[in-house]
Amino acid sequence: MKRAVLVAVRASSRAGRLIGLADVRAAVLALAAESPDGPPDQAELTDERLAGLLAAHPGVAAFASVSGEALYHAPDLLSRTYARILDRRGSPALLMAEEIRANSRDYPRPVPVELFEAEPFGLSRADIEAALKTLAADPECADISFVESSGGAAFLFSERFLPRGYAQFLAERAESLAENP
Amino acid sequence: MASTPGGFAGKVLRVDLSTGRTSTEDTVERYADVLGGTGLGYRVLWDEVPAGTKPFDPANKLVFATGVLAGTSVPCSGRTAITTVFPSCWPRALVGSGHMGGQFAAKLKYAGYDAVILEGRAERPVWLFIRDGRVELRDAARLWGHGIRRATLEISQEMGADCCVAAIGQAGEKLAPLATVVNSLSHSAGGVGGVMGSKNLKAIGVQGSGGVRIAGDMEQWGRLVRFHLSILGANNQHVVPAFPSREAEYYNPGSRWVGEPGRRWGAAEPPVEITGSIRDMNRIAYRTNSAAFFLGERAWKHTVRGNGCTSCPVRCHTTLKVPAVAAKYGVRDTAQGTCIALNFGRFFFPTLPDGPKGQAALEACMLGMIMADDMGIWSNYGQLQRDFIKLFKDGVLKAKLGAAEYAAIPWDKWRAGDPAFLLDLVPRIGERRGELGFVLGEGVGGPFDRWGIAEETWEADHATTYWKMGHPKHHANEDDGQCGVIINTQYNRDAQCHSHTNFVRNGLPLHEQKRLAGEIWGSPDSVDAPGQYTPMNPHKARRAKWALLRKELHDCLGLCNWMGPWVASPLKERGYRGDNSLESRFYSLATGRALDREGLDEAGERVFTLHRALTIRDMGARDMRALHDRVPRWVYEDPKGAQPFTPGAIRMDRADMALAMDQFYALMGWDKDTGAPTREAYARLGLDDVGRELAAKGLVPGGKDGGQG
Repeated sequence: MKRAVLVAVRASSRAGRLIGLADVRAAVLALAAESPDGPPDQAELTDERLAGLLAAHPGVAAFASVSGEALYHAPDLLSRTYARILDRRGSPALLMAEEIRANSRDYPRPVPVELFEAEPFGLSRADIEAALKTLAADPECADISFVESSGGAAFLFSERFLPRGYAQFLAERAESLAENP
Repeated sequence: MASTPGGFAGKVLRVDLSTGRTSTEDTVERYADVLGGTGLGYRVLWDEVPAGTKPFDPANKLVFATGVLAGTSVPCSGRTAITTVFPSCWPRALVGSGHMGGQFAAKLKYAGYDAVILEGRAERPVWLFIRDGRVELRDAARLWGHGIRRATLEISQEMGADCCVAAIGQAGEKLAPLATVVNSLSHSAGGVGGVMGSKNLKAIGVQGSGGVRIAGDMEQWGRLVRFHLSILGANNQHVVPAFPSREAEYYNPGSRWVGEPGRRWGAAEPPVEITGSIRDMNRIAYRTNSAAFFLGERAWKHTVRGNGCTSCPVRCHTTLKVPAVAAKYGVRDTAQGTCIALNFGRFFFPTLPDGPKGQAALEACMLGMIMADDMGIWSNYGQLQRDFIKLFKDGVLKAKLGAAEYAAIPWDKWRAGDPAFLLDLVPRIGERRGELGFVLGEGVGGPFDRWGIAEETWEADHATTYWKMGHPKHHANEDDGQCGVIINTQYNRDAQCHSHTNFVRNGLPLHEQKRLAGEIWGSPDSVDAPGQYTPMNPHKARRAKWALLRKELHDCLGLCNWMGPWVASPLKERGYRGDNSLESRFYSLATGRALDREGLDEAGERVFTLHRALTIRDMGARDMRALHDRVPRWVYEDPKGAQPFTPGAIRMDRADMALAMDQFYALMGWDKDTGAPTREAYARLGLDDVGRELAAKGLVPGGKDGGQG
């Protein structure tokens, strides 16, 4: 069983998908159907039992998704950062806000708006505009702001982690990297 | 036949161009303590080129030197250092070196030589033929006056396809200080082409049938090479991709790791789509696309492939095919290059019609690469282009060029950002035509000397990024605060040091960088976030010293300091650690002479100190602190008046930088007041002869005897 849950999570991560307990259970059953031992006792496949097996495995990571459901992935195949992005893709405003905050906090840096057009974000310009309007109207997201580089590119940052002047400097620096080989 | 020593080819070839005489000497016997590369070059200059020798004097020597690891399977080991009295160093030429990758280093070693020392001056244009033990000077009359491409192709036809040709173009022939030596068509060494031209030497063609012996256990060697591959990132050892990836915890839009599955080399025949894992060691070459990094999306469809140096999987010389440039400008449609050479044409234009990554920028890059790599023009790390723009904007060109010459220049094309402007300007520089072509080819010392411009004007203007002695900053305070400044004070040309910047730009978040920094340099405080600088501390001095010594070490071993050092890696499972001892592990296995990290770093320090000694000897001054280790005014100024150590300010504080230099000198064992090595420092590094000679000239702290009676 331990091996089966790991196989399920790894297969899912390899395919670039997150997996919840229901899908883990289904995968375990599918695997078991091919086994000479036959399917396991359904009573053994409780959420608690599966969650316990997954939590005990060092190669599996879990987090609470936007919907509140626990999702699993194998970080060596699907990184934590990427997993969070995948989970938030259905909520563009949240996706952008959290990504902007993480970048401002950790690196630190503002991010170019076009970042969100590329995969894995994959937002259209209209999606981005709409998300930015949502963020601007949400007091919880009052920290999300933008600066414009002298080259005219817009960069987003969180005032919670980056003073505006520093964000401006970092935006100019990001733009100048291709001029400063 | 006696076996060759491990790592070294075993011989240094000496060619007297005045007499045509050639000879060899034993590398290990004569030069092992300075490793090779720049170390060998500095030693030759110290022993054989008297102070006061001018760059284009026959008495100056030009030393092409590879290193122990060149020609082996060590990744990123394709470098050749060309050391000489460096012509663009202003106001007085001092020791310096140009560096090239390509295939020359490996071919030279396969021919049996670690280095070629060129001396004297040929009576007429010649080229040097090297095929294993056969060495000849051959007539180059038919090549003289022509470009590097023609010289390369004609010599290749004569020698065979497996040769490597390092040649000069018209700029070198006409003794331009801003001239390159170029091998393998795009791998250039800046500043040294004029010295080759002064010796009437058009090219060196080299072909070798030998190999490089590895003294140590080959299984261990193979494992170490594979380990090195596993910790490689992309160009400049950027260890995280520019895009979020399933296979990476971190990403950085500023990373040069731009290749990801789904991207296509659109001009390859047939086009190549990048697939598979970004971590795959057999796909490292797909990570880097220099053209896409500098020119953005449109470069992908013009990409043919990644080109590069022997044994290097990074392939930073991106080959581009742009049919439009053939149709519009009548030049070849294919070119290759990286970094500043790739941007040679684009950087002449303050603005381009569709921006710095538009079609005009792409075409300007293509024209620039094609013409500069053929005529052998060096940009002095972009100073040439910045000088041109400033000279125009300040009205100097209008004032100093004759009316007819000024009127003949198609300024309308320049203002419009039309790449065709380069068809007029670049040949002026390469052929040194007219006042403009002559002065620009001199380097920034040209306008200073000939047009009476004060150096202070450049030092005060941040837009020039001018540093000192005729050269610009090269990854200074904008990237790395005090470390960057210290590093930029040390050489007689732009610093060319990437040890520090490859770490701070590696793409990891700050907490990971600080953790690694704590392990490597003793404190997380040895690294700051860019533009969020903290006051100087001894750990930063330690990192600056490490960066300089590793740079020098790489230049001695044939390793690429544009790619290394490899102290960080993409490997989460290693905590993003690289290996700070990689160079010494390779050196020990290659040579069979066990040297640990400290031991090899000390050898790097010996070489770096020899460079310092040469500078002191040739300047005839020991007060390096005041006369040499200068910092331009703009470093201490902020256009908006921001104070030092405020987030977003890269201006430095004078008192803090004075402390930084104190701490750096102390770590080097140099005198705090003068920044000159002491007799003890020379003796500790096995350079007692050097210390003694300088002491006799009163060039060691402590007076005539250097404080040693």
